[in-house]
Amino acid sequence: MTAADSSRVLKPYSPSGRWTEIEAGHLLRRAGWNSGPDGIRRAVSEGLRATLRRVLTTQVETTEFTQASGLLHRVALETGEIDNLKAWWLYRMANSVNGLTEKMVLFWHNRFATSYAKVRSVEHMADQHALIRRHALGSFRQLLHGMSQDVAMLIWLDGNANRKRHPNENFARELMELFSLDVGNYTERDIQEAARAFSGWHVRNDEFWFNRLQHDDGQKTVLGQTGAWGGRDVVEICLSQPACPRFLARRLYETFVSPTVPEADLDVLAQRVQVHGYQLRPVLAELLGSELFFADEARHALIKSPLDLLVGSLRGLEVRPNLDNVVRLLRELGQDIFEPPTVKGWEGGRMWISSASMLQRANAAAELAFGEELGQPADPLQTLKRYEVERDADVCGHYTRLLLGRPPSEALQRTLVDFYSQVQGDRSIKVRHLLHLIMTLPEFQTM
Amino acid sequence: MDCNRRAFIRRMGTAGLISTSGIAPAVWSRAAAAAPRQGTAAADRILVLIQLAGGNDGLNTVVPFADDAYYRARPGIGISESSLLKLNDTLGLHPQMVGFKELYDEGRLSVVQGVGYANPDRSHFRSMDIWQSARLTVDGSMDGWLGRALDQGIDQHVGTVPAMSLGTGRLPLSLVGHKVTVPTIRDLNTYRLQLGPRPAANQGLFRSTIGGYVAEPHAGDRQLEFLRQATDAALTTADSIQKISQEYRETVPYPASDLGGKLKLVAQLISGDLGTRIFFVSLGGFDTHAQQQQSHLALLNELSSAVRAFYRDLKGHGHSDRVVLATFSEFGRRVAENGSLGTDHGAASQLFVVTPGQQAGIHGRHPSLTQLIQGDLRHHTDFRSVYATLLERWLDIPSQPVLGQQFPLLDFI
Repeated sequence: MTAADSSRVLKPYSPSGRWTEIEAGHLLRRAGWNSGPDGIRRAVSEGLRATLRRVLTTQVETTEFTQASGLLHRVALETGEIDNLKAWWLYRMANSVNGLTEKMVLFWHNRFATSYAKVRSVEHMADQHALIRRHALGSFRQLLHGMSQDVAMLIWLDGNANRKRHPNENFARELMELFSLDVGNYTERDIQEAARAFSGWHVRNDEFWFNRLQHDDGQKTVLGQTGAWGGRDVVEICLSQPACPRFLARRLYETFVSPTVPEADLDVLAQRVQVHGYQLRPVLAELLGSELFFADEARHALIKSPLDLLVGSLRGLEVRPNLDNVVRLLRELGQDIFEPPTVKGWEGGRMWISSASMLQRANAAAELAFGEELGQPADPLQTLKRYEVERDADVCGHYTRLLLGRPPSEALQRTLVDFYSQVQGDRSIKVRHLLHLIMTLPEFQTM
Repeated sequence: MDCNRRAFIRRMGTAGLISTSGIAPAVWSRAAAAAPRQGTAAADRILVLIQLAGGNDGLNTVVPFADDAYYRARPGIGISESSLLKLNDTLGLHPQMVGFKELYDEGRLSVVQGVGYANPDRSHFRSMDIWQSARLTVDGSMDGWLGRALDQGIDQHVGTVPAMSLGTGRLPLSLVGHKVTVPTIRDLNTYRLQLGPRPAANQGLFRSTIGGYVAEPHAGDRQLEFLRQATDAALTTADSIQKISQEYRETVPYPASDLGGKLKLVAQLISGDLGTRIFFVSLGGFDTHAQQQQSHLALLNELSSAVRAFYRDLKGHGHSDRVVLATFSEFGRRVAENGSLGTDHGAASQLFVVTPGQQAGIHGRHPSLTQLIQGDLRHHTDFRSVYATLLERWLDIPSQPVLGQQFPLLDFI
C-alpha cells in the first residue's frame, strides 16, 4: 500500500557493514553467552550470514558434554533435589555449543515462570523444562498448548481448583496477562469466560487429566468469539489476537535488542512473528541479522542478569565451574532458576542493580579472578600463549575485547594500562589482578 | 550515628541514586516529614521481622494457666503454673523466656492475642504464603506484603538497599516485590569489597583505581552512568559498613545461637546506617509434632535470649528507640496434644511485638479454649491488622494500597 508497508521487513544488516570482533562478539554474547576468542575469531572469518546459520542450527555436542549432562540430569531426578536440577541446567548453559537454545529456554522459563517452591516436584519441573526445551526455537503455538496442559503449570496455577461450578481464574488470567496478550488487551469478563473453558483440566496420578465431570461445556464468549469453547479453543483465540504477536515481539526485543522498544520497531517485528506463524527460528534469524540488532543504540543497552554475568564469565575465562557454589551465588544474586520469585518472572534490567548487588558482583569478580570457590579458571599464561598475546602492551586490549566487548574509552584504557603496569607480581598474578579490575567495572555489567 | 546516616544519604543523593530528579520519593519523604512519634523520626524507623517457621505452639509459649481447659487438653505437655513467668493473673510466659519477661517488665514487649485469618489453611506452605503475601486467596501474582510496600516507594530509589533478608535461603515471599530486588545477606563479608590477595600495595592499588575510575561521570551513556553511580555507591557503602564492623563492639554478649548471630548482624547493619528499614530473619524448627518439650524449650530460649541481647545491644548503641521487632508464624498448633507428646497444625495464635514502649502489654483477649473450630483456636484479630499497624503507625506507609483494604489498627504502637 504505502512506503511504510513495504518496509515491514526487518532490514538486514548490510553485508558491507562493519564485521569485526566487536560485531561478532555482540551477536555471540546475546545469542548465547561469551564464546571466547576462538568463537569470535571463527565468526569474523566466516562472516555474519554463515555465523547466523550456525547459531540457529542445532550443533552436535561433544561426547563429554552429552555424558556429563545426562549424568547430572539423572542425579537430579534420583535425588529429588531441585538444586541438582539447577546444577544440571547451569552446566548446559556454561558448556553447550548451542548457546541460543539455552538462552531461549531461559527466555521461556522467565515467561512461563513456574517455581519449585509451590510445585514441590523435581520430576514435574524437569518435565516442564523438557517441554520448553522441545519448543525453545520452534513453535510458540505448540509451546502454549503444551504449557496449558503441563503438570507443573497446572499445580502452579491451581488447575485442580478450577471446577465447573467454581471456576478458578488463575491460569486464564496469566494466559492472557503474562503468556500471550499483556494487560489492556482483554477484560475481566474474558478471563472469567476463559476460566470456564479450562475447568476440569486437572492433574491426576501426576498426569494431565481431562475431568469431564468438572468441565463446563456451555457457551462462552472469549475476546468477542462465542462457542462451547474448551481450553484449546481459548489458546487459539488468544493466538489469533493482534496483541499476541506484539506481546511476543516485545519480549524478544527486550531480551535481544534493548529495554526501550520503539513502537515502529515493535510493529515491524510483530508483523514478522505473524508472517512466520509463531515459529521462533525464522523470527530470530531476521532479528539477529537485522540493522536494528546491530544499531549503535542496541550495543551494550542490556544490563546483565546474574546468569548473563556468571555464565558469560565462566565461558569467557574457560572456568570449570563448581556448579553447587555457582547455583548458590545465583540465588544470592536474585536469579534462582527453577524458583522465580513470582509468576511474572524476573523483572530484570535496572532492577538487578543496587549497592548490595554491585558489591556481590564485585566480589564474585574477585572470586573468579583469584579464588576456587566458583571453579578453577584456566591458567592465564596458557591462555595468552594460545591466543598469541605476547607483549604486555597487548594484554589489556585482549581482555577488554574478550570481557567488555567494546573498545575502551581513552580514560579506561589509561586506567587499565596504568593499573597493569603498577600492580606487583609475575605475569600470571598481574593478569589475574587485571581480570579482577575489568570484571568490577560498570562496563562489565552491560552486554 | 545520625550524622553518619545523613552524610550517607547526602552522598547517595549527590550520586543521584536517591532521586534522579532531585525530588525525594513521595512515600519516604512523607515519612521524613511526619511528626516524630515516640521520639524517632519516621524515616529513621526500622522494622525487624522474625519468622518462626513451622508453626509455633502459642499455647505453650504464652500459657493461659488460669484456664483448666488448658491442662485438660494437655495432660502430657502442659506447663505447670508454678514454673511459668507470669505476665498477669491469667497468662504466663514459658519458663525459658526470661529475656522476654524482662522486656515485658520494661514495658517493651507486647503480646497480641488471637491473631489469624478466616478459614485457616493448615498446610505449612499455603498458610505461610497467606501470611507472607497477606492475601487469603493466593493468586498468581505471589508478591509479599513488604515487597508491595517497598514497591510503592522504590521508583526513584533504585540503587539503595531498603530491605534485607538475613541468611542463605531463598528470599522470603514477604519481601518479594515487582520493582525491588532485596538482597540476602549471609554475613558481613557480603558487604566487604574483596580486594584480592596481598601484598597490601596491590589491594590499595585496586581500591584506588576502581574508586577513582567510577568517581568520574560518564557523559553520554545513560546506562553506563547509572551503573557507575551504583558502583560508586557500593564502594562507599562497603567502606562505611567495614568501618562500623571494625569499630563495632557489641555492648552485651550475644548467645552463640543461629538467631543470636543473625540479630547481631542486624545490629551491626543498623549501626552501618545504610538506610535499610526492614530486616527479615527466620528461625526454623517449630513444627513440633512429637516429643516437643525439649525442642520447643530450646527454640523459645533461642528466641528470647537473642532478642533480649539484641535490644540491650541496640540500647548501648543508642538505636533501641528506632527499632520495632515483630514475630509471626504460619499458624498456632492444635489445642489438644497428640498421642506422641507433640501438637499438630492449628490455627490462631499470639504474636510478639517489641516496641520502644508505652503501649506494651497484652493486647486482645485470649481466644476460648473450649469454643474451637475443628479443635483449633478461633481468631478474633486479622493478621493484616497487625501489618496495617506496623505499616501506618511505625513505617508511616499507607496500608490500604499494600493490603488491598483498610484494616482496623491495633494499639500496640
